[in-house]
Amino acid sequence: MVDVREDILARLLEVVATIPNIRTAVRNNVDLTEEHLPAAIVFDGDEETADASDMSMRPPHRPTVVQMTPEIIIAQQSDQVGSDITTLRRELIKRVLTDTELNEQIVKTGRHGNGAIRYLGCQTDVGWMRSLHGALRAQFMFKYTLKPEDL
Amino acid sequence: MIDYSALLYDPVYAEIGVPATLAAGTADEIELVVIDDTRPKVLPAGSAEVRSVGPGAFARIPELAAAGIAREDYTDAVLSFNGRTWTVRSYELRGSPNGEDLGEVRFLLKAAGSTDG
Repeated sequence: MVDVREDILARLLEVVATIPNIRTAVRNNVDLTEEHLPAAIVFDGDEETADASDMSMRPPHRPTVVQMTPEIIIAQQSDQVGSDITTLRRELIKRVLTDTELNEQIVKTGRHGNGAIRYLGCQTDVGWMRSLHGALRAQFMFKYTLKPEDL
Repeated sequence: MIDYSALLYDPVYAEIGVPATLAAGTADEIELVVIDDTRPKVLPAGSAEVRSVGPGAFARIPELAAAGIAREDYTDAVLSFNGRTWTVRSYELRGSPNGEDLGEVRFLLKAAGSTDG
């Protein structure tokens, strides 16, 4: 059994856990307290294919290309939250886009694979609590081949 | 006219107020009574929520004025009560039927030393 989607999400959690100073790395946990911060949360992403327009006689279990867009949240509360969030963002992007396991073993990017990993962008939120709180939502796109017979 | 300070605020502060000190600018530290108004606070982090507190405290404006603390002195003042020390990051005036100068101020606080980072 090979479930590329699950392999990507599981590896993403491992990757964000290696970001320096991250105290908490979780998946799909929507309820944190300030003691968890700085935290990184991996949210399972939506998936899309182009198969809705495929009216061919292709067997339904043939491989198809999927684009998954998971979201990663970075949250921090500190005296210098702006600088902290910027640093955490830098480490997040660098580690996801350069992770060898994600690129070469799971998504199979490169000259001879048709997978891809792209950084789509981020949004930020700030607000006052005990000190200044900041959150950054980063989106990535993972393009991979879904092989129903491998599931 | 009802004296709200004598009949409302003073008895309430005598009952649930706590001793505090406030240092504003280069003036001498003053002693006053505040009501701890630290509240739970939740902020969004994308699809998640982060729980913490929004620290705050009520004080009587006449008590501050009598000690020489004017409104322009509130922001960045250091307020200590209930074993913690905070910095006033902003405030909101709570009017009184006797006029805002005889009402309360709610100090919005942040951890001492915290910046706008």
